[in-house]
Amino acid sequence: MKTTFVRLLLSLSLLGVGNAWAADSLNISLVPDQANSPSPQMGDWLKFHSVVSNPGTQASHGIVAWISLVQVDPGHEQPVDLEDWSAHKAVTQAVLQPGQQVKVEWPMRLIQAGAYRVVISAVDRETGHVMTSPFVDFQVRRKPVVESGRILPVAFGIPALLLGVVGWRRYRGRAG
Amino acid sequence: MNPIALIARKESGELLMSGRGLAWLLALSVIMSVLSLLLVSNTELSLLDNAQVVYMVMGTVTALGALLAVVLGSDTVAGERERGSLMPLMLAPVTPSQIVFGKMGGQVAGWAVMYLLSLPYVWAVGSSGQNLAQAVVYLALFGTPVVLGFGFLGIGLSARLRSVRSALLTSLITLMLLASPLLLGPSLRQSTIGKFFDAVNPFSAAVNTFDSVVIDSQPLAMQFTRLAVTLVWLALTTAFAIRSVRKMEI
Repeated sequence: MKTTFVRLLLSLSLLGVGNAWAADSLNISLVPDQANSPSPQMGDWLKFHSVVSNPGTQASHGIVAWISLVQVDPGHEQPVDLEDWSAHKAVTQAVLQPGQQVKVEWPMRLIQAGAYRVVISAVDRETGHVMTSPFVDFQVRRKPVVESGRILPVAFGIPALLLGVVGWRRYRGRAG
Repeated sequence: MNPIALIARKESGELLMSGRGLAWLLALSVIMSVLSLLLVSNTELSLLDNAQVVYMVMGTVTALGALLAVVLGSDTVAGERERGSLMPLMLAPVTPSQIVFGKMGGQVAGWAVMYLLSLPYVWAVGSSGQNLAQAVVYLALFGTPVVLGFGFLGIGLSARLRSVRSALLTSLITLMLLASPLLLGPSLRQSTIGKFFDAVNPFSAAVNTFDSVVIDSQPLAMQFTRLAVTLVWLALTTAFAIRSVRKMEI
């Protein structure tokens, strides 16, 4: 009897938690584009596809979905300001009927080297919490911002050239 | 040959042909080389920092050009006086105006050499190609009035102060004051005094234009006020140099 009562209480409490944290009203998928480079570097473009769908029986209203990027390099974990990375940072949808879905493309230019995790988040008017897609991780290879192949010849060549002119002037002055 | 062209040729020849002038150019190129090598060794730069790097080199070229102009300008009249060659120059059949325009021609040649010397560096650091052509054009457009203005200020002070040391010191203090935006962070320049200083300072006008064009890709139409500030600076220093040389006494 006592055990049954405890189970009943436990079931009721779980039901309560379920009510406080309602199920997601939207499903959000996220996959990288097949044409994405397997080993991208700074300056490359990546594209991600997501589908925001309404699997429920009621319409969702006032949907906003946005992309977030987090750097996950050990010791450098931080959110990334997407201003320089992407001009396509959010989409809105006035209403999403049951069974309806919205496909969104998220292009992104890779600005800085490192390990990153991208995720799509969404809210609607009815659900009391943020709904998120699965993560997609990617690594950006470093690309030299200033190319040593261009700079080294100039940095050593110009002074050497001027030094040569100075030396030639002195030599000619002495010879003359 | 026109006396102005003769004097300008002599002045520019001292920069390009003399050991002292070549040593100055060598020193300036070494400074730009060191800056470039420091940038190569920096591994923390993001993709967008390439434009920042080009902007930094443009500011440095303008500052070094102004430094060279100040040194050359301070020597023009007072140096002639100290070397005893001013008297023969004044007794020659040339007017003071021709003398000052000839000296200004030397300044133009000095900046032209400095500008040409800087182009390989600007190309070398601008590897992404972002606004590189604009950098080359705007360095000429805004660097020229700013740098020549400092040179003409040096000529005027050289005529008035009668000593190279005094003219050089005064010119350098002015250069340090006006070039301070290169050293001050943007936050310090956001105060009321900083904004006013930025608005009237020709050096700020050039540096802010480099920022606006190279980093923010803004058009020429947004730079007209700043261009006007640099042209006013050039006009004022030109008038100062002409007036000072005309009024000078042996």
